[in-house]
Amino acid sequence: MLSRDDWLPLARKLDWDYSYVREEEVFPEVISGRPWLPHSEWKDWEESFKTSYREYVDNQYEKDMAVYAVRDAVGRIEDVQKLATPWMNSLKVHAAALPLAEFTGVIGNLRGARFGRDSAWRTMATFGALDEYRHTQIPLLLFHHLVRFDSQFDWTHKFYHTNNWFAVAARHFFDELTVGQNAIEFHIATNFVLETGFTNLQFVGLASLARESNDHMFERMVTSIQTDEARHAQIGHPVLETVMKHDPEYVQYLVDKWFWRNWRIFSILTGLSIDYLTALDQRPYSFKEFMEEWIIDQFLRTLDEFGLKKPWYWDLVIDELDIYHHMIYASAYSYRATLWFNFVIPGPAERKWLRQKYPKYWDDMDAVWEQISERWRTVGPGPENELAVHGTAMPTFCDLCQLPLSAGTPRHNTARVLAHDGRKYIFCSEPCEWIFRREPERYANHQDVVKRVLSGEAPAELPKLLTEYFRLTPETWGKDAHHGSYAWLGPRKKSAA
Amino acid sequence: MPIPLYGFLQGDTIGLLILAEENDTLQTLARKLQDAASLRVAGRKQVRVVYNHKTMDTAITVAQAGLQALDRFDVIAG
Ligand SMILES: [Fe+2]
Ligand SMILES: [Fe+2]
Ligand SMILES: [Zn+2]
Repeated sequence: MLSRDDWLPLARKLDWDYSYVREEEVFPEVISGRPWLPHSEWKDWEESFKTSYREYVDNQYEKDMAVYAVRDAVGRIEDVQKLATPWMNSLKVHAAALPLAEFTGVIGNLRGARFGRDSAWRTMATFGALDEYRHTQIPLLLFHHLVRFDSQFDWTHKFYHTNNWFAVAARHFFDELTVGQNAIEFHIATNFVLETGFTNLQFVGLASLARESNDHMFERMVTSIQTDEARHAQIGHPVLETVMKHDPEYVQYLVDKWFWRNWRIFSILTGLSIDYLTALDQRPYSFKEFMEEWIIDQFLRTLDEFGLKKPWYWDLVIDELDIYHHMIYASAYSYRATLWFNFVIPGPAERKWLRQKYPKYWDDMDAVWEQISERWRTVGPGPENELAVHGTAMPTFCDLCQLPLSAGTPRHNTARVLAHDGRKYIFCSEPCEWIFRREPERYANHQDVVKRVLSGEAPAELPKLLTEYFRLTPETWGKDAHHGSYAWLGPRKKSAA
Repeated sequence: MPIPLYGFLQGDTIGLLILAEENDTLQTLARKLQDAASLRVAGRKQVRVVYNHKTMDTAITVAQAGLQALDRFDVIAG
């Protein structure tokens, strides 16, 4: 019998010349990606893990058993019930946003597994697809089961199947990143930008938040997922290196575009979790501190290593670190019934912490929270008053990222209108408009939620929009976790009617 | 037919969709936006309406100001 070292190199790297089809037909540019290069340019594609299928299965089996053991030990409903309220709602955000996003990663990897340009790349992408399937199944299993104790966990399965505004934005992102993407752009955008650039937010940042919050199930789950990410993220580097030799401007464009798109999504997912949806005494650092330590510096170093420049809008990202997710959280709080998890108002202690961590713009944010607090003081606490402390006008969304027009600062919102081909578009920020202008054919036909309301596709009246279009119910839509009952608010105002 | 406009109130954290009538004065338009954002931003007596980087006369109407569907306008401290 051949030893492993004898057969594995042959099995991993098995390419051949086609006799009755052309290479361009086997790997069409539209689905394999550009630049289209003959296989001779890809033949040295290599990664360092060099795993066999048998080793892969043995390894993954061990990891899965470890996750099940943790679930049996600390993943019961009684364990979850002990979690602090803010973190419980972080959990609901991730329970919805994570599993089916991972599933789109299955599709992207399968595209690489068929249309990747070298056999070693295709082998690795096959494992990547299996990994992402695991990252779908584990959170579905762990989170959906919690629906017995809280019906908002129903959104674990439901989220991506709705037209909830955040689901529209998340789908717009993942559909482009993975589902509808060619193999080259997929691997650069997903492996290099998301998994190398942003993965620490989820796997280091969230894991340590979970640990501080005594949520050992979540901590172990993301740590287990991370061990797979570390392997399949390696696909991106040799893909990027080869494309760099032929079209460095294109690589720079992909990095610039995808860093921005990732920044938009992750500053919300992780930013809100760290700075608002974790109890104050369980916050190990601010979102900004974490970004600076784990993302910004490391990403710049990685860019340098590959001969890339930092994105042209870099100063804007640095500025947004101080404000963007704060704008989003206050806006989302005031439209919380449009979402599937509950919110808390930052009280005096939280606001003191936020001011200390974010001195640059906090005065303006503080005024917003003061005004919202004042509304609760006026109407008084109680579930029956939720909608009296809620936005009534239609919120607005960016035609690129599909997220609320909440960029810039309270003093100056950076939204910008563009007329293109007889239609009007609005973007939250300059980079979102720039991405649209680079590839209008890709984005121009997508309608944001406001355009859907105006065209009659979605109902204009808020309660109907929530129930019929966003698929929420009065039971599951987001509320103030304390229904405005905070000791620090003081007594209800006498002048209230 | 109401004209859907993107309104941005200084001090707010999000833009809002405001349905204006052609004959609304800009003062009325500013009022509509301030009401819509009152949960987050305290009302102000003195405000200015800015459209296309210009401060507008608030006595004129939406039609006279040339505001069209899906345009941006700003209401800022005056
Ligand atoms: Fe994954
Ligand atoms: Fe992955
Ligand atoms: Zn945007």
